[in-house]
Amino acid sequence: MNRLWWIRVYALTKKELLQFSRDIVLLFAVAWFFTAEIYIAGSGVSMELNNASVVVLDHDRSEASREWISQLKQPYYNVLGHAQSQQQANVMLDKGEVIGVFEIPADFQKKLLLNQQTSIQLQLDASNIILGTLANSYSGLMNAEYNQQWMLKNLKVVDPDSIQVPMVEERQKINYNPEGKSTWFMPISDMMTVITLLSLFLPAAIVVREKERGTIEQLSVAPLSPFQILFPKILAAEIIILIGVAVCIFGIIGNVFQVPFRGSLLSFFMVTMVFVYAVSGLGLFISSVSRNLGQALMVSFMLLMPMLLLSGAWTPRESMPDFQQYLMFLSPLSYYIDIGYSIILKGATLQLMWQPLLQLFGLGTLLFWFGIWQFKRQFN
Amino acid sequence: MKWSRVKTVAIKEIIEIWRDKLYLSMAFMIPTMMMVVLGFGLSMDVEKIPFVAVDYDQSQQSRDYLHRFIDSRYFDYRGMKAHEKLAEPLMMQNKVRFILVIPPGFQRDLLQGQRVQIQPVIDGLFTFQAKVVKGYVSAINANYNQELMTQWLKKKQGMNSHEIAALLQPVTLETRYLYNEKLSSLWSTGSGMIMLVMLMAPAILTALGVVREKESGSIFNIYASTVTRSEFIIGKILPYVLISMLNLLILSWMALVLFGVPFKGDPLLYLTASLFYVSCATGIGMLVSTMVKTQASAALITMLGTMIPGIMMSGLLMPVNSMETAARVEAHLLPAMYQLNIVWGSFLKGQGWPELGTNVMVLAGYAILLWSLSIWRFRKRVNS
Amino acid sequence: MPAIIEVSQLTKCYRKHPAVKSVDLNVSQGEIYGLIGPDGAGKSSVMQILAGVLRYDSGQVKVFGQSLASDKDAETIKSRIGFMPQGLGLNLYPELTIEENINFFADLRNVPKDEREQRKQQLLDMTQLNAFRDRPMKNLSGGMKQKLGLVCTLIHKPELVILDEPTTGVDPVSRRDFWEILSYLVQHEQMTALVSTSYMDEAERFQNLSFFYEGKVLAQGEPDSILEDVKGWVAECYCGEALTFYQHLKTLFSQVEIIGERMRIVALGSSKEDFEMQLNNLLKEFGLVHDLFIRPIELEDVFIGLLARWRQKESDNDIQQQAGAIEVSAIQFEERPAFDPKELMIEAKSLSRFFGDFVAVDEVSFDVKAGEIFGLLGANGAGKSTAIKMLTGLLKPSQGYGHISQSSLKDSGIDIKQKIGYMSQSFSLYADLTVHENLKLYGQIYGVSRGKLKSRIEWALKMGSLQAETDTLAGRLPMGLRQRLALGCALLHEPKVLFLDEPTSGVDPLGRQQFWEILVSLAKLNGVAILVTTHYMSEAEHCDNLALMQSGRIVAQGSPQSLRQQVADDLGQVISIRVDRPYDALSILKKAQYEQASLFGKRVHLFSLNPEQTLSEIEQILHTQQVMIRGIQQLSPSLEDVFIHFIETEHSDAAHSKEVS
Repeated sequence: MNRLWWIRVYALTKKELLQFSRDIVLLFAVAWFFTAEIYIAGSGVSMELNNASVVVLDHDRSEASREWISQLKQPYYNVLGHAQSQQQANVMLDKGEVIGVFEIPADFQKKLLLNQQTSIQLQLDASNIILGTLANSYSGLMNAEYNQQWMLKNLKVVDPDSIQVPMVEERQKINYNPEGKSTWFMPISDMMTVITLLSLFLPAAIVVREKERGTIEQLSVAPLSPFQILFPKILAAEIIILIGVAVCIFGIIGNVFQVPFRGSLLSFFMVTMVFVYAVSGLGLFISSVSRNLGQALMVSFMLLMPMLLLSGAWTPRESMPDFQQYLMFLSPLSYYIDIGYSIILKGATLQLMWQPLLQLFGLGTLLFWFGIWQFKRQFN
Repeated sequence: MKWSRVKTVAIKEIIEIWRDKLYLSMAFMIPTMMMVVLGFGLSMDVEKIPFVAVDYDQSQQSRDYLHRFIDSRYFDYRGMKAHEKLAEPLMMQNKVRFILVIPPGFQRDLLQGQRVQIQPVIDGLFTFQAKVVKGYVSAINANYNQELMTQWLKKKQGMNSHEIAALLQPVTLETRYLYNEKLSSLWSTGSGMIMLVMLMAPAILTALGVVREKESGSIFNIYASTVTRSEFIIGKILPYVLISMLNLLILSWMALVLFGVPFKGDPLLYLTASLFYVSCATGIGMLVSTMVKTQASAALITMLGTMIPGIMMSGLLMPVNSMETAARVEAHLLPAMYQLNIVWGSFLKGQGWPELGTNVMVLAGYAILLWSLSIWRFRKRVNS
Repeated sequence: MPAIIEVSQLTKCYRKHPAVKSVDLNVSQGEIYGLIGPDGAGKSSVMQILAGVLRYDSGQVKVFGQSLASDKDAETIKSRIGFMPQGLGLNLYPELTIEENINFFADLRNVPKDEREQRKQQLLDMTQLNAFRDRPMKNLSGGMKQKLGLVCTLIHKPELVILDEPTTGVDPVSRRDFWEILSYLVQHEQMTALVSTSYMDEAERFQNLSFFYEGKVLAQGEPDSILEDVKGWVAECYCGEALTFYQHLKTLFSQVEIIGERMRIVALGSSKEDFEMQLNNLLKEFGLVHDLFIRPIELEDVFIGLLARWRQKESDNDIQQQAGAIEVSAIQFEERPAFDPKELMIEAKSLSRFFGDFVAVDEVSFDVKAGEIFGLLGANGAGKSTAIKMLTGLLKPSQGYGHISQSSLKDSGIDIKQKIGYMSQSFSLYADLTVHENLKLYGQIYGVSRGKLKSRIEWALKMGSLQAETDTLAGRLPMGLRQRLALGCALLHEPKVLFLDEPTSGVDPLGRQQFWEILVSLAKLNGVAILVTTHYMSEAEHCDNLALMQSGRIVAQGSPQSLRQQVADDLGQVISIRVDRPYDALSILKKAQYEQASLFGKRVHLFSLNPEQTLSEIEQILHTQQVMIRGIQQLSPSLEDVFIHFIETEHSDAAHSKEVS
């Protein structure tokens, strides 16, 4: 790689950046993706139980039952009131007007006062799995709290700390995002989605456009190796995306959502670079096998959907079936999410993350050379 | 409107699709593939959570406590670490989501009837997962406490187990999961995928089908001929409705057999509603195709226009009721939510016309609206 | 004859860009009317407006007396019109068979079934597609696609057919068949045809025509009356390489070209005698003694003259347009390379290329020497581009071998790439980079050293007369300048061999003429060996040697002169007779055993080895049938005739050898 080699790479990279800067639509799209899109997704989307409508079928109508009901509070639940009959409750459930029905037995207060155990039925619409899981979890916690109150009252304990019983008291510590804010999670997840989209589309679109206009032939006839033709396109994509990431991290994620950046910024940028390299290799591959932009889009779409939804941006990897967990070893995004979150939210260092980083780099190199190989092949 | 000309357009389209093997296989493979990958993969089950333990006590009691977690199907034990400092990097590396630290003197204090504090450390990264894990830990711990207390109270105060139970847990909450008794992700998101896939795939397929003609120039045959707008749009859309209905049957079969979802409702209602729904989806594609010129922009717009509302605004992941008002209004303006009601209503809830009738009507109205809009938007004389 | 199309003051803009500027057009029943012009001249827009598929901004448009002002009005004429959009076979359905395609078009227009079958049979017979009814459209050749497109357009017996560039990129034989079928139908079905083309040499096929450029009509009327209005003369003399003479002539006449060994000078408006005297004096002055042939000008010369005048007028108003005429002295490379005109620069030996079962190039052999321009001629899909791609290293040959200035194609990839310049079909420029940025980029890619780069860029700007446009985006340049910029990019590293793949397609005739001027100078001054492909037959005259390609094979090879001579020896001269009733004349002559007679607008052409005798025979036949002869010309065979002749002899040879075996 002598000086001439670098002059060529420099000239071609500069060309890509110049072209990019003159494509107003693309420029606007990239800017929009890195700012507004992330803001909207970050502020709007959460997998949270919020205002879930419930009704109570209170056969007791006592002080105790009212006290129990009063614990079902905002923001999780929205108690619509009392159902008159089981039938009415069923209709409301079936129509999806409520997600759950709490049925309090007629002898609720009586049994409590008699120091007998009593039980409340929760009928829960579990057709939406997230709602079902969260609603069950929250009402369970709430009931436990009610029980503890009752016990303390019964034992006439005023200060719960003074009580002397053998008991394992759990002081749960939630790390990294103690308040469970989805605004700390979603924007980062969305930024990674955007990076994936762009690093797949940018180089692919550049190559396909050159193919459609016929300029790629001109480059292929010039004394350039396939690597020399493709490398500057990836370099340009790297530069554009890294600038976008910087804007996004400082502007939106740090400033608007106040997400703490706990790790080293430099490491994150480095990892992002490796990731862009890996995904753009995939993009080059797609652009080499497809004849027009429409086809390229279809193929990318088929690859992107599973990649984005299954790489761990929505659900943790361990909750997937085994075969898909193995499949995701092939997805560069799963490594990037792994490392990226750890650096940003967990403050992990690269010494800690060298293993997935190495895997990502290896996978990227594989994809990149596969892309170049395909690119060469298409001419024969 | 002459039916013979609608037929001419439709039959030509079917022959073309049938002979273009690549397009044909895409038309059937993409939905099936998406169904398998996303149905299995987009799992919201919080199970097999990897965790490590740091047991400073190393006693009979502490091991007993630890086993409560090891034996739970919700947790996946990944070994013992000598010190918290050794466990924390594992959490940073996303190798474990939960660390159980048992303090020294755990057994001694408990035997002396004292309270012991433990500190379970939970990874807060995935907020949904963290909240559920939190619930699991509390539940296991509460269970353990109850046993401890029962033994202690029996010994100290001579109470019987009934009394103790009434004291410790006066109110038990018995949850009965309706419609999805086993709380299975496959039943829920798996069957919901029918809604998502059948929104995206038909829309994209239809949009590409028309824009392809625009790109190649064969649309000029239509422009220049005496075919009316409605004849063309309906003739063009019918083959895609047919393909989509076949796909829908395949996906429904997959939900039944592959995911093991029960079908409790009215098949006739389900099929009628689905016919309206795929008419909506193809209608969306058709409407997009009247507005754009290239396959690339058609694919991109339909993709973005169906994927985001399909996932975010349908109630599939985020319940419609817990959305902000603006988002909730939007959800009601899109067909996805109604179809999800029908899919879940028919498969899981066993509902029929009384409960789902309105949804079917809305979908039918939506389909008519989209088709009419497409016909209205389609121009046989263009500006450029 | 009643008026079918009446257009006045028609204007159409795309966004802000005007495509049609106050155009007037009148077409009467039963004529073949031509719209001629380069790409982007506004022909397609006018045709689409007339077919009722495109809206317009202002003006009056009437078809069959019906105004097309509203969308609803436009619908009413569609049952009487057949429209074939631009792009060969692009409006057909590739997966459908010939028959299915035709049926679709018929059913779309509610043609009753028995009528459909009858009409289909008739058209298939006429186009000789009957044997291929069940073949999918995607497996047809270019010429067959064109015919199928025509059949589909005609299936409902339209009164008016609008055909947008039906002959572009089609082989000459199919082109000739196309014109025959069209004139037959126009004659027998009282049909009217509006046809567009970018081939200037097709102008004489039309009874009336409009010459379009940049949305305007520059000339309109009958071809002969356009010629008569201008009154100009062409002088041709064989004077070899008389560069100083040429440069002097350029100062006196606007149109001077060197074509092979000929010098061609056009004078518009002056009388034949004055012109002849002036030239003879000049020849004497330069000490050249040569025969001078003076003939009336052709339509293409008229168009070029009109374009030059129009541009002159524009550039007076607009400084931007000043990039114009070529300076020959600017074309020379910095150090004039000494070259040996015998040195082999390109050598192809039995080159073949297969794509699966398909043979794209079949045993092609030729050589090109230093300073020679070699032309590969053929229709789209004849294998020209594939051949060029193999020689530039873009494609590996399946068989055979080749050398580029002593380096073998097999093992010296990068080596070859450094030696050659290449300009692809689409001009391969980055439309969103400026002229200067494009040049700099290619300079750096080809490793032109930093010290030299500046002077090379200046050279390229000067060569293409692009100095005024350095900071213009390449996409905003007019076609002709864009093409010169692409050439400049390919020449920055002073290559010894230049490959040009259809460098002139879609460019206006003046731009094309200027481009060839540059090419000729490049070859003669710098010794560059140039391989160029084209489907414009008229351009081939500029080449030193030609190869005619058809279905991947070379059917004839030699200098334009010798090829023409061969045809003249085989078939004789072309007799062109202008008559008052051309259709009748044609059928009379065909009946009288002049079967190869063909129609060119109001003229009938036929070959004769013995022109005197044939003429007297024809005059007599036509006289007895009361057809008035208005004029007779004798022409030497055009290259198009050459092409057709060689293809047909090859076909009959092949058929013959089949019969024998």
